Amino acid sequence: MTARPDRGPGAGFAQPVPWLAPAVLVLAAFYAVPVLDVARLALSDATMVRPASGFSTEALRGVLSDPALPEVLGTTLIFVGVNVVALQVVGLVIALTIVRGEGRELPGMAAFRTLVLAAWVVPGIANGLIWRMLFDEAPYGTLNSLLGYAGLGPVAWLSDPQMALVSAVIANVWQGTAFSMIVFYAARRGIDPVLYEVAALDAAGPWRVFRSITLPLLRRAIAVNTVLVSVQTLNTFDSILALTGGGPGRATEVLSLFTFNTVFYNLDLAGGSVLAVLLFVLGLGMTLAVLAAGGRNPS
Amino acid sequence: MKTLILAAALAAAPALAQAQELVTRNRVGLPDAPNTLTFRLTAYDLYSSDPATKATFEDLFTDFIRARPDWKIETQLQTGNIGQEQARLLQQTQAGRGPDCAMIDSSQLALFKQTGTLQPMNMVFSDDEIADLFPYVREAVTNEAGEVLAWWWFTDLRVLYRDTSIVPDAPQTWEALREAGLAAVDAGREGVLFNGGRWEGTAFDWLAHFWAQGGRLVDDDGAPVFAEGENREKMLRAVAFYRDLVESGAAPARVTAITDYDAFNAAAAAGTAAMFVGGNWQYGQLRATLPAEQFADWAVSELPGPTEDERATGTGGWTIAALSPDEAKRRLCGEIAKEIYAGPGNAAQGLLPTSAAIYDRYDAYDGPEFDLFAEALQNGVARPGAAIYPEISNQIQIMLGDVLSGTAEPEAALDAAADAVQAAYDRQ
Amino acid sequence: MTGARWGDAATYALLGMLALFFAVPFAWLLSLALRTPAEVYRGAARFIPAEPTLANFGAILSDPAFLVYLWNGLKLSASGAALAVVLAIPAAYACSRFDFRGKMAVLLGLLAVQMISPLVLLVPLYRWMSALDLLNRDLSVIAVYGALGMPLAVWLLKVAFDAIPIELEEAASIDGASRVQTLARITLPLARSGIASAFILAMVMNWSQFLIPFILLERDADWPISVAIFNFAGSISASTTQLLAAACLIAVLPAVAVFVLLQRMIVSALISGAVKG
Repeated sequence: MTARPDRGPGAGFAQPVPWLAPAVLVLAAFYAVPVLDVARLALSDATMVRPASGFSTEALRGVLSDPALPEVLGTTLIFVGVNVVALQVVGLVIALTIVRGEGRELPGMAAFRTLVLAAWVVPGIANGLIWRMLFDEAPYGTLNSLLGYAGLGPVAWLSDPQMALVSAVIANVWQGTAFSMIVFYAARRGIDPVLYEVAALDAAGPWRVFRSITLPLLRRAIAVNTVLVSVQTLNTFDSILALTGGGPGRATEVLSLFTFNTVFYNLDLAGGSVLAVLLFVLGLGMTLAVLAAGGRNPS
Repeated sequence: MKTLILAAALAAAPALAQAQELVTRNRVGLPDAPNTLTFRLTAYDLYSSDPATKATFEDLFTDFIRARPDWKIETQLQTGNIGQEQARLLQQTQAGRGPDCAMIDSSQLALFKQTGTLQPMNMVFSDDEIADLFPYVREAVTNEAGEVLAWWWFTDLRVLYRDTSIVPDAPQTWEALREAGLAAVDAGREGVLFNGGRWEGTAFDWLAHFWAQGGRLVDDDGAPVFAEGENREKMLRAVAFYRDLVESGAAPARVTAITDYDAFNAAAAAGTAAMFVGGNWQYGQLRATLPAEQFADWAVSELPGPTEDERATGTGGWTIAALSPDEAKRRLCGEIAKEIYAGPGNAAQGLLPTSAAIYDRYDAYDGPEFDLFAEALQNGVARPGAAIYPEISNQIQIMLGDVLSGTAEPEAALDAAADAVQAAYDRQ
Repeated sequence: MTGARWGDAATYALLGMLALFFAVPFAWLLSLALRTPAEVYRGAARFIPAEPTLANFGAILSDPAFLVYLWNGLKLSASGAALAVVLAIPAAYACSRFDFRGKMAVLLGLLAVQMISPLVLLVPLYRWMSALDLLNRDLSVIAVYGALGMPLAVWLLKVAFDAIPIELEEAASIDGASRVQTLARITLPLARSGIASAFILAMVMNWSQFLIPFILLERDADWPISVAIFNFAGSISASTTQLLAAACLIAVLPAVAVFVLLQRMIVSALISGAVKG
C-alpha cells in the first residue's frame, strides 16, 4: 500500500491538481479566511467587545507568560496521554473479544457493539451531566453507594483534585471508546484467518498468538488510531465543562477548556486565538511524533 | 405559588383556542402586522417546558399584542448557556444583526452597557417607578445621564436554609454556623453545604462574606482592588472562614465538587444535610419536593456574617434591554418588560420583583419567606458593574477550589488570583 | 471442548463487566427521564422513581418543534457528510492512484484541518459567513461540516481505493474509458461500502455538533436537535432535567438506528482494506 507508480488508465502522466481542486477550493472558500483571521487575531489586541486596533504581541506574551499555562499544559498532556492509552486498550479488548465471540457464534455481540456505539452519540454536555450525577459524593451518590454495598469507598470522585482528573478520563473513555473499537474491529477482521489456523496447528497459546500475529499486524491501525484519538481528545472540552467546569481549582482544566474560558468567559479574543494556535501546534507535534514513532509514513 | 399557577392555567384554558392563533413558536401577533419587533428571550417563560408557566405567558402576550394590533413580535429563543449566548449576542449586535430587544442576565449587564449598544427606554418608565427600584437595581440599569438602559425585572438572593429539627436557631455569625455544623455532624448529618466547585455560583455565593465586611472588588473606575489594603485582609478572612468550615468538618470535603444548586435539594430530600447556602427560588422547589411534614422542618434565614451586624447577600436576576435605536421599538421593548414581565410575570413564577410596590400588589408574596427575603434584600449586593468581573469570579473559583482541596495556601492563592486578574485587566 | 467453553465464559464475563460500565449511564438517563419534577430534585437519592411516568416522553414527542429540530439535525448532518464525501472522492482517488510530489504533505495538511479547534475559529467564521451573506442559511453549516468531515473521509476512502486491484481499472481503460469514467463505473461501485462508512462516520460526528450551528444559525426554527436540546435544560421555577433526559434519549435514537442499519456496511468497508499494514 506504499506509493505506487502511476500506471493507471488514461494519460501517461497524471496531473493531481484537478482531482484535489474541489477539496482545496471548498476549504479555501470557507475556511482559509477564518483560519488566517485567527493568526491575525493572535497578533492583535482584539476582544469580543472591541475590534483589533493594530498589530500587538501583547496577547502572545501575556498568554505565554501566564503562570497558569504550565499547569494547564501539564493537565492536558496527562489527560490526553492517559486517554489515548485507555481508549485504545479498552477499544482493543472489546474488539478482540467481540471477534472471538463472533467466531464462536455467541449471541449478544451485535447488541454489545451497539451499546458502545450509542455512548458515542450522546452529546458531550449531556455526557458530563450524567457522569456528574453518577460521581455524586453525597451519602446517597450512585457509584459510592454501589461501592458501599461491596464494602469499598467512598471515593472522592470529583472533589479531590487528582481523582477528578481520573473521573474525567473515565467519562471520556465511556464516550470515546466506540471510535477505537470500530477501527480495531475492522483491522482485526482484516487479518488473514489462515495465519490463525497455522497458529492453531502449532498449538500456540492465546497470548503467543496475540503477541506474534495480532499485535504486529495491528501496528498500523494503532498508529493511525493514536493520531486520530489524540487530536479528538485534545479538542474535547464540553464534557469536562459540564462535569467539573475545570475544577476543583484548575485540576481538570485542559487546554481546550482554558481556550473556551478565555474566549467565552473572559471575552479575550486575541488571547484565545494564541491558545488556538498553541492547540494546533500541539496537535501537529503529537501527530508527527506518533508517525515518526510508527516508523513508516501513512501513505 | 403553586395554586396561583394552577389558577392562572385554568383561567387561560378557555382562551387557549385564540391564544394559539396569536402565539406561535417564533411569533406573537398576526403575521401580516405592519411593524415587527425582534425579541430574544430565554426558554423559561413563553416557551417554558412547564405547561402552566407557558399558558400563563401565552395569555399575557396575547393580551399585550391585542392592544397593539399594528405590531408583531418575532421571538428568538436563547439557550441556557449564558456565556456562549452573550458572546453570540455581542457578535451579532456588532455585525448589526442583533435583535431589537433582548433578555440579558444581570451579570452581563455591565458589559453590554460598556459596549454602548443599549438604548434608553425612559418613555416607558416614570421617575417614581425608577425611584421605587431597589438601590442596587437602579444603579445597574441607569447611566449617569439618568437614562434607563435596561429593566431588571426580577431579582434573586442567597440565604441559609436549615433543618430546624437539627438546627433550631438560625446561626447569625460565621462562628455560630461552624458550631451548628459541627453539632449537626455529631447528630449524623452533613453540617453545611455550599457551592465550592468551578462555576460562577461558587464565587458569587462566597462573595457575600467578603461584601459583608465592606470589601470592594473594583474601584470607581472598574479597576480590580480586591487584593489590596483592607480588601486583602477581608478576602483572606472570608477564605479562612470557608477553609475552617471544611477543615473542622462542619462542611464536608465534597463541597469542592458542588457546581449546582439542585444538589442541595437532593440532600434536603434525602435528609442527609442539616444546612445549605441556597437561592431563594429553592424554597418553592423544596415545598414541591418534600413531604409536607418534612418541609415544615425547613426554614430560611439571612446568611451569617462575621458579626451579627455585618451581613450581605449576592443578588442576581434577569433584565430586558432595547438594542434598536428606533423609538417605537424601544418603547415596545420597555412595555414588554413593564406589562408582561415585571409584575404579572414575577407573580406567576414566584420570582422576586425589583421594586417594593409590586410585593404589595400580588397575593403571591404573602408567605412568611417573602418577609425574610425582603429583609435580606436590604443587604443585597449586585455584581460590580465592571467588565473585569467574569475574570475576577473565575479566579475566585480557582482560589477557593485550591484552598478548600488543600492544594494551595490562602495567601498564595489570593496572590495568584490577583496577578491573573491584573494581567487580564491590563489587556482589556 | 472444555477449553473453548471456559473461553466463552471468560468472554461473557469480560463483556458483561464492560456492558455494565457502558449501560449504567444510560440507566441513569432512563431513570431521570421517567421521573416527575419533584423526584428529579431527589437526585441520586433514589434510583428507581416511586411514581414512574411516561409524561416526559409524551411532552417531547408531542411538541411539534421537537420533530422540526430532529429533521434539521438529520438534514444538516446528512448534507454535510454527503458534501464531505463528494469532495473527498477525487482527492482520495488521486492520493491512492497517482504518485506525485507532496502527497504526504497533502495528506498531513488535510489532517491538520481537523486539528484547528472550532472554538476560536467560530468568531472569524461568523464574520466571514456574514460577509458572504450565508448566515442563517443551512448552506453555511453544511459547508463547514463538509470542510470538517472531508479529511477523515479522504483517509478512509484512500485506503478503500487502495484495496481495489488496479488491474480492474486497466481493463476498463483498454476499452477506451477515460479516467473519470473508470472512477464512476468501476472504482466507486467497488468502493461503495467504504464510501458508506465515510459518510456514516461523518454524519454521526455532525449529529452531535453544538457550537457551529449554534453560532451560524440564529433562528431556533433552523436549529438541529444538538442545539435545541438545551432548550429543555433550564427553567427558573421548575425542574426540566427529566425533559432533558427524555429528549437526550430520543435524540440518540436516530443515530443509533443509523448505526444498527448500516453497521455491517461500515465494518465490511473497513475490513476491505482500511488501516491494515
